Amino acid sequence: MAPGTNEDAQEKDRADVTPPPEGEDRPDRTDRPKERPESPRARMLRLGACAVAIAVAMTAGAVVLGNKDDNGVRTVASAPGVAPELLATGSLASSISALQTHLKAQPKDYGGWSTLGVAYIEQARTNGDPSRYPQAERALERSLKLKPDNDPALAGRSALAAARHDFPAALRYADKALDENAYNERALSTRIDALVELGRYKEASKAADQADERRPGIPVFTRYAYVRELRGDVTTTRRVLKQALSSASAPGDIAYVATALGQLSWREGEYKAALTYYEQALRADKVYLPALEGRARAQAANGDGKAAIAGMEDVVARFPLPGPLVVLGELYEARGGEEDKAKARAQYALVNAWTALARANGVNADLDTALAAADHGDRKAALRAARAEWERRETVHTADALAWALHVNGRDEEALPYARRATATGYRDATFLYHRGMIEQATGNKKEARSSLSAALKLNPGFSPVGAKLAKKTLTALGGAK
Amino acid sequence: MTPFTSGFVGRRSLATLVCGALATGGLAAVGVTALGPGTASASSHREAPLISGQPQFDNTDVYAFVSPDHPDTTTLVANWIPFEEPAGGPNFFTFAEDAQYDLHIDNDGDAQGDFVFRYTFKTHVKNDKTFLYNTGPVESLDDPDLNITQTYDIELLQLKDQRVVKKSTYADDVPVAPSNVGQASMPDYAKLREQAVHELPGGAKTFAGQADDPFFLDLRVFDLLYGGNLSEVGNDTLKEYNVNSVALQLPTDMIQESADQPIIGVWSTTQRKSASGEYRQVSRLGMPLVNEVVNPIKDKDKFNASSPWNDGDFLENVTNPELPKLIEAIYKIPAPKEPRNDLVDVFLKGVEGLNQPPHVRASEMLRLNTSIKPAAKEKRLGVLDGDNAGFPNGRRLGDDVLDIALQVVEGELVGAKNDLGDAVDKNDQKFEKAFPYVALPTSGSRGPLAKGTTGTNDVRNQLGDALQPAGTTSGVAGMDDTTLIAVSAASGAAGFLLIGTGLLWWRSRRRAY
Repeated sequence: MAPGTNEDAQEKDRADVTPPPEGEDRPDRTDRPKERPESPRARMLRLGACAVAIAVAMTAGAVVLGNKDDNGVRTVASAPGVAPELLATGSLASSISALQTHLKAQPKDYGGWSTLGVAYIEQARTNGDPSRYPQAERALERSLKLKPDNDPALAGRSALAAARHDFPAALRYADKALDENAYNERALSTRIDALVELGRYKEASKAADQADERRPGIPVFTRYAYVRELRGDVTTTRRVLKQALSSASAPGDIAYVATALGQLSWREGEYKAALTYYEQALRADKVYLPALEGRARAQAANGDGKAAIAGMEDVVARFPLPGPLVVLGELYEARGGEEDKAKARAQYALVNAWTALARANGVNADLDTALAAADHGDRKAALRAARAEWERRETVHTADALAWALHVNGRDEEALPYARRATATGYRDATFLYHRGMIEQATGNKKEARSSLSAALKLNPGFSPVGAKLAKKTLTALGGAK
Repeated sequence: MTPFTSGFVGRRSLATLVCGALATGGLAAVGVTALGPGTASASSHREAPLISGQPQFDNTDVYAFVSPDHPDTTTLVANWIPFEEPAGGPNFFTFAEDAQYDLHIDNDGDAQGDFVFRYTFKTHVKNDKTFLYNTGPVESLDDPDLNITQTYDIELLQLKDQRVVKKSTYADDVPVAPSNVGQASMPDYAKLREQAVHELPGGAKTFAGQADDPFFLDLRVFDLLYGGNLSEVGNDTLKEYNVNSVALQLPTDMIQESADQPIIGVWSTTQRKSASGEYRQVSRLGMPLVNEVVNPIKDKDKFNASSPWNDGDFLENVTNPELPKLIEAIYKIPAPKEPRNDLVDVFLKGVEGLNQPPHVRASEMLRLNTSIKPAAKEKRLGVLDGDNAGFPNGRRLGDDVLDIALQVVEGELVGAKNDLGDAVDKNDQKFEKAFPYVALPTSGSRGPLAKGTTGTNDVRNQLGDALQPAGTTSGVAGMDDTTLIAVSAASGAAGFLLIGTGLLWWRSRRRAY
């Protein structure tokens, strides 16, 4: 790494943004709001908000999907199939425009099309810009039309399907790519992703071992570590992530891996270590959103509410997704100033607007969205979403979401088996334990509730500003920590 | 829908809120996706990197030649980390610590290694409070101002039937020559290089460190396959890029089977430590261009993980190669008749009577007849031009392997005489006359002019550099284009097939062979 990359982590000068961290960071929960039927006025508000949102979104979309490629000065006349690996070392945006220019001149370069497709997917990941997906799809289809069965494009299709949460398709495409080339690094990696997201943990673990044998490297290491963490093997997870970090040189790799280590430390209640990793991630990429969000969470857990709020406001200003919105709302609530309740509600309202916008367009509510809604929004819709997701895939995350959605709808007996299932693999997440404890308490299993809530608070006492408070209160009522 | 919208947040404020969010771009993107059916709007699962920058494990080239100034020794050179960008410094590049960098020698032609020289590296940081490579001018390798240094060990493994029978430490804690980050930081880089040349017992020498990339070719010839024109051929795509080199000079009698059987096979591999702690081979290179030109895409990764013993798996790629057929389809130059046993000789066995060991097992490695004296005057086309001390008898730094390989693939050895090439005939930097022979690395402080970029460009960005305005928007802007193409080619993405298309660059050159 060049010394020049050591930049001010606080600087906020970049327009592109990154998505919030992934599945492991559930929005934190608070007391159940009393449900009310939607009033005509609320409905009107909602539709109005959607109309505004969609109108603006479409305008923005036209820019994104339009002839962006044709604008601007390009110096490159040709650039055949840039290897995806090298995209990691530079600016994705400029690599993409080079590829676009090249492919205009040489439209038969199937390797170029598949690389462009993968670059779009990677851009969607790092910039939180899903409008890239249709572009990725077109590029990959084009590559496959020019040369069916070319494994880079098949692996790209697999990654695209995974990014769109179509995990069965992701698995299918990964297998197809591996039939062509058993050593394809991307296919080996997305195959693990798909199996994990489908809740097929045993197979995922096998797939990770196989991938590690064939293509040891950062893409495989990060998946290998996660598969181990899902089984509760934090020692291996940490060791492998550290190995990945020590061999990372591209800024994107450093940011991702350091953030993963930060999140792991945070989940384990080690806030100082977490903050150190987040700083390392932000030195590599000063606006890496998962690191900014993780840092705010760790600051909150560490008792520095002021910095946490400032940090999370920054995150939300860049990309207002449900997870960070809920955390910010809860941080306001926890601060408890005069206007903080209203401020918190404004965040929750934005979650609702976001959810409504997604639903109005036939998009499956995401797990983050379902959990946010369960705590701060439409609880019935949250249950519908969680149930639908559970029917698609039985993972610890969907089990937890479904358990909690059932709980906030007062169906605790039904919730209990799901809450237990969420913690059954050994995955160490305080939120899961907290949910389980609250459900156990509601179903009269006091001993278990005490044990679950104690475990949650012992593992990561700062898992949520609001949730931790409620967990403590409930635990005291149960007779104190075990 | 929600209790909150009707209470604290009124219509106007919600609209403001949403629009505010949209203005930042976040929701806008979501909105766009939302318009497509069945797409997820946010991530709820881990999305790890799909593409990862790991050039430290990339083997780029291998050379083997009888040392011109010490003919009783043989020099092996292997390079890693392509496209090291020196411009605008300070940039530095280290060997990976979790890798084994291996040089293999087969001295009896059975496709099994008899010797492995294993380089492993350690990184030392003097002051981890700073991220600077050096904290002041560096006068020597042990200068305290050189903040980040590397040392290496060499292990010598002797094998029989692919099993280690003897293992010994051949060198211990040898310093690596640093990256040449610039004139101000390293006023006398040549001196640092000299200090990094290390003598080993028995008259051997070793070197590891940065060097100018000795490979020279014009990868713009890629364009031809797609019907581009030829006006831009003739630029060395790899000009002014550095690599990390390992060089080893060994007494020939130490490595050859006997004076009567002086032909050795050489290749290089990189093993990487896996998550489970095992070392796995992730890169392999012997003959230049084989994995790029001969093997189709789907076999490249497999080749990188394989050993010469199993090269029968790839035999058909050689006997029935794709490239000449492609050239025939596009340019109507007839492809030589298959099966291409001539290619099997050159690429897999060695040329009979020159560098083919007795009882050879067909496998891909660089084969060198160590008994052939170094040429007084090297010819860049090597054996094709009557200079038997050059490629494909081993490979010298100055051998024009692209032209040679092209001519051979298009049938030079089976009567289809041709004059194909890329019009890049030599490296931009002069090679050294003594060990380690590789040229000094291009300095990081040569300034922005060399690449036609401005000082505001992000010089750490390889691809980006290629794309920065160079004061002209025409496609003939030299380096801009070629840089980018080089990136694609050497990394073996789609370009592998296309290198050969430079054959349309006909030149009037007299052949002596």
